[in-house]
Amino acid sequence: MLKAYMILSIILFSIGVVGLISRRNIIVIYMSIELLLNAVNLSLIAISADLADSSAQVMSLIIIAIAASEAALFMSLFVVLFRNKGSLDANLFDILGEKNG
Amino acid sequence: MQNEILFVILALVTIVSSVVMISAHRPIDSALSFIITLISIAALFALVNATFLFVVQIIIYAGAILSLILFIIMFLNIKDDNLPDEKYKNRWLLATSIIITPFSAILIDLILRSDIAVNGVSDEKFGTIKDVGLTLFSEWVLPFELVSILLLVALIGSVTLSKRKD
Repeated sequence: MLKAYMILSIILFSIGVVGLISRRNIIVIYMSIELLLNAVNLSLIAISADLADSSAQVMSLIIIAIAASEAALFMSLFVVLFRNKGSLDANLFDILGEKNG
Repeated sequence: MQNEILFVILALVTIVSSVVMISAHRPIDSALSFIITLISIAALFALVNATFLFVVQIIIYAGAILSLILFIIMFLNIKDDNLPDEKYKNRWLLATSIIITPFSAILIDLILRSDIAVNGVSDEKFGTIKDVGLTLFSEWVLPFELVSILLLVALIGSVTLSKRKD
């Protein structure tokens, strides 16, 4: 079971990386990052169940808390960027690079 | 045996819905299929007796974070011309998966060759809220407190970002 869980976690991580690299829609990019975190959580939970040690479960709880705070920041960024540019295209969001932006 | 059948079904649901998530054109479709991914991952947690994480996954991920995403998507009132046109989306997805496949194949091969123990859980109390809570408040107190600071920073940051005048 542990090997199957690890393989599933690797597959999910690869799907998340593919989405993260190849999409330009910023909401899909955000959800791909969440998928990466979930893949890591899955392997942590499988390892903790296999070793009967709950430290890894605490680690994945902390990862979930980090994902929640990340979600809050991402949502306010979406609203601000969508108000400024009127689009969800990640290629348009280069205001950090402009000289007088 | 029953667990293996359930695992295969849940793994297939997870993989298919996450593929739909990264390839759907409209963000509402990908958010809805990502909810299916998260709920089946929660069921995979429950399959290895991690009951508390199962509840947390459903409440926080599928409940709070994804409903926040759905709320934002509906609040922004996204039309089709607000979306990036992504003419070569399928080509990009194909090319990136071709690049990623060898890496994940190496990792899967490594997992298959390794001799990690397959014990399964015998302890009844494992994964309950008492067990996880005792570990959290005895060995992991410092990371727990640091997470509270992180949540405060995220709160202040999101309020500051959305209150900017320009």
